[in-house]
Amino acid sequence: MHMMMRHRTFSKTINFPIVLRVVGWLLMIESLFMIAPLLVSLIYGEKWEAICFAVSVVITLVVGLFMNYRIKPSSKAMRKREGLLLTATTWVFFSIFGMIPFLMSGTVTGITDGFFETMSGFTTTGASVIKDIEALPRGILFWRSMMQWIGGMGIILFTLAVLPMLNYKGGVSLFNSEVTGITHERMRPRVSQTAKSLWAIYLVFTVVLALLLGFGPMGWYDAICHTMSTVSTGGFSTKNNGLHYWHDYYSDIVIMIFMLVCGINFTIIYKVAVQGKFNEIKRSDTLKWYLGIVIVGSIVVFARIAYMSFVDTWHFGAILAAFDTISAITSTGYATYNYEREGQFIFFFLMLLMFFGGMAGSTAGGAKIDRLVVLLKNVKNELYKVVHSSAVTAVRLDGKSIPHMVVEKILAFLSIYVVVMISVAVMLTLFGLPAFDALFNSLSAISNIGFGYGEMTGGDDKFAMIPDACKWILALEMLIGRLEVFTVLALFSPGFWKKD
Amino acid sequence: MRIVIAGAGEVGTHLAKMLSNEEQDIIVVDKDEKKLYNLENYNLMTMQGSAVSLDVLKSIQVGVADIFIAVTPHETINVIASSMAKSLGCKKAVARIDNFEFMKPASKKFFSSYGIDTLIYPEYLAAIEVKTAMQHPWARNWFEMLNGELVLAGVKVRDNARIVGHKLKDLSGISSFMHVNAIKRNREIIIPGGNDEVLHNDIIYVATTPRNIDDVIAICGKINHRVESVLIMGGNEIVKQLAELICQDYKVKIMHSDLARCQELADELPDCNIVHYEAGNTDVLEDEGVEDYDVFVALGDSSESNILSCVMAKELGMRKTIAQVENLQFVNEAESLNIGTIINKKLIASSTIFQMMIDADTETSKSLALADAEVAELEVGAGAKVTKAMVKDLRLSRDMTIAGLVRNGEGLLVTGDTQLQAGDRVVVFCLAGAIHKIEKMFG
Repeated sequence: MHMMMRHRTFSKTINFPIVLRVVGWLLMIESLFMIAPLLVSLIYGEKWEAICFAVSVVITLVVGLFMNYRIKPSSKAMRKREGLLLTATTWVFFSIFGMIPFLMSGTVTGITDGFFETMSGFTTTGASVIKDIEALPRGILFWRSMMQWIGGMGIILFTLAVLPMLNYKGGVSLFNSEVTGITHERMRPRVSQTAKSLWAIYLVFTVVLALLLGFGPMGWYDAICHTMSTVSTGGFSTKNNGLHYWHDYYSDIVIMIFMLVCGINFTIIYKVAVQGKFNEIKRSDTLKWYLGIVIVGSIVVFARIAYMSFVDTWHFGAILAAFDTISAITSTGYATYNYEREGQFIFFFLMLLMFFGGMAGSTAGGAKIDRLVVLLKNVKNELYKVVHSSAVTAVRLDGKSIPHMVVEKILAFLSIYVVVMISVAVMLTLFGLPAFDALFNSLSAISNIGFGYGEMTGGDDKFAMIPDACKWILALEMLIGRLEVFTVLALFSPGFWKKD
Repeated sequence: MRIVIAGAGEVGTHLAKMLSNEEQDIIVVDKDEKKLYNLENYNLMTMQGSAVSLDVLKSIQVGVADIFIAVTPHETINVIASSMAKSLGCKKAVARIDNFEFMKPASKKFFSSYGIDTLIYPEYLAAIEVKTAMQHPWARNWFEMLNGELVLAGVKVRDNARIVGHKLKDLSGISSFMHVNAIKRNREIIIPGGNDEVLHNDIIYVATTPRNIDDVIAICGKINHRVESVLIMGGNEIVKQLAELICQDYKVKIMHSDLARCQELADELPDCNIVHYEAGNTDVLEDEGVEDYDVFVALGDSSESNILSCVMAKELGMRKTIAQVENLQFVNEAESLNIGTIINKKLIASSTIFQMMIDADTETSKSLALADAEVAELEVGAGAKVTKAMVKDLRLSRDMTIAGLVRNGEGLLVTGDTQLQAGDRVVVFCLAGAIHKIEKMFG
């Protein structure tokens, strides 16, 4: 039965027309998303920005329509290569069209800054090249936060949820290449159903957080913007000082809780909240590790803060410690407080958390705690084997043994992750960044955190000063990190393009 | 439909892939996570765990499932798992078995009291398929409905057939007694229109009524040889079931390379000749006098050697060969090598499931699995979309066709002017990937 399908669709080259056609579809969806900031601009009477957004909507929609209707693929076959290519190029196309409002309104000058800002948004990194955020029109700020919201759960995933078009075999490889994690667990039989459930949870979180913040001291506009960058663990703020602007425990704590929750695997949340399987919480090793690291991390940071007497009151210290820890581990990177002021130890300690990030299948970035757990358990086995050389061991996660094949893949992932991170850091030093700054900014990009560090990028996470070439490199690295390395790197391997 | 498949072995995996391509909601359960990884790129959900665990069955919500299919290698697990699934609320339960006793009518009652609706015994079904193929040596596939009131046959036509070189719309003059439903050409099955031509080396799937079979044989340039003797190679369960089915009516010789198994077969099959040969003895076919037999059946464990033995038997003058080919990739190759009939357990199992999906009454319904298509019979429901207009005005999609129907116990061919009625039993010929459309048309 599959014989024929394969035979009929067999071709030697990559099916570019179908990829571009689907990208056209996705651009049409992006243009619909852009209507939201257009409305915001209209509400706040920002005429010029409203025009900018209207033009962006039209351009994106027309290009999308053109690609969708003028490109006529001879075959509708979408196999693994097309899937990988589509996922990666979609994010690039989204960034290219998403930066039009920034460029037109004069928010940023130049394509480099525009692309960096948009890619940073969609990948939920949250690094910014804009120095004075508060001076920006509200429509523009809204779009910045909204990009993070779209990218947090995933562009492709959204499409899988709403369009039946991608709901066939090809859609599965798209799902696998965009959803983070080791095995891409599905909670419902069809990919489109799984995508719908994930987006539904995401929407519920968004609405609940927006209400909670909206009734707080923030005001509705800032509440909605912060909601979008919190549930996506993105980290764009509407104020130069970030949450520090409000000096308010309530908002801090609410945001802290939602960051923590959005760093949990959404599949577990679905099983517990929708299906009522509370034993999933007990069963998940990764969840225990995640929460354990957050608690231990907070205590360590708090102890250091208290020891060094950085702050005046203990409760402020406690919230500071917990917030910083969660903001780092979930890769949100809210610049609430100034890290350099807190001293090198805390800074370095949080870097460790940033490297691994949140749980797979969440909106958080990083290499994912799941892989850390597997790595450590595998190391434990290897150490055991040093003494008992003929021992046969298994890496167990959530009560199940993980096949060696998968363990190997995880180890390869972590190695490549580190290699990419260090390579980019080396490239950044070429352009004059100090070694540590380069390494930190590279980690910040690949783990989609958004903190900047050092003379050029430090302070309130401003990347404006770094050379243009570095911005392009970092933007690419953000995409590599967001799509979990293999999807993007595969495109750079000669084997991907070679005929077979 | 929500379909749960327990067991990600060969049959389970094939079913899962096929049904997920048919846009059904599939959940696959297996103990072995490695087997489930093979399904990662398919549009379905997997669950690691035992099929007889209540926790597992509940967590995949088997209670709201439409069909539960137990196809693990263990008969007992299949029976228990199906029974459990049914008692949890699943609508239909199917269990794969490997015991002929269970197929007897008396056992059916017993199993249905446990909630198991259908038993699949792929080896037995395969044996029946081999027997059918032997009885109609001129055809590659043979499917009959309601005691043979309507026949659908797959026939390879060559230059000598009168039908070759004619457009289908011109055929009505010389062959109004048959209807060409599908043509397999260059490994692809097409549902032809009036302007399509029958070519040399096509396999055509024709529907006809039993009294016209001789005319079909003639127009296709075939001769219906009498079959009296069968040479079987292999010693698996299909061989045993087949031998039991046919040993009274045919002269049967079984060749097998495993001596112990030969002895077992000799103990159980007193009416058959059992021959042991050394594995690797390539002259065995000639030594055993292949020319004295009418049909050669290769049912060994390796698809490759089955195909090769059939090719060799052909060269030695055998007219009809039948090969078991379990690797689906090889099925088309085998067909193009002119092997008469291909037997595949996975296809047989999947066609049974497919039949269950489209028709509630599976007791009498039959189906035929081809490598890239399905043939099945079903009853036209009252008010179904297909009863609303004549067939030519139904705008049937190009990947399915109505091959024929039985009305009031009489087989009829379907033409563009046929109007279906509720209560008709029809045979549907449907390409892979289009099966889910049937429900919309006939439901």
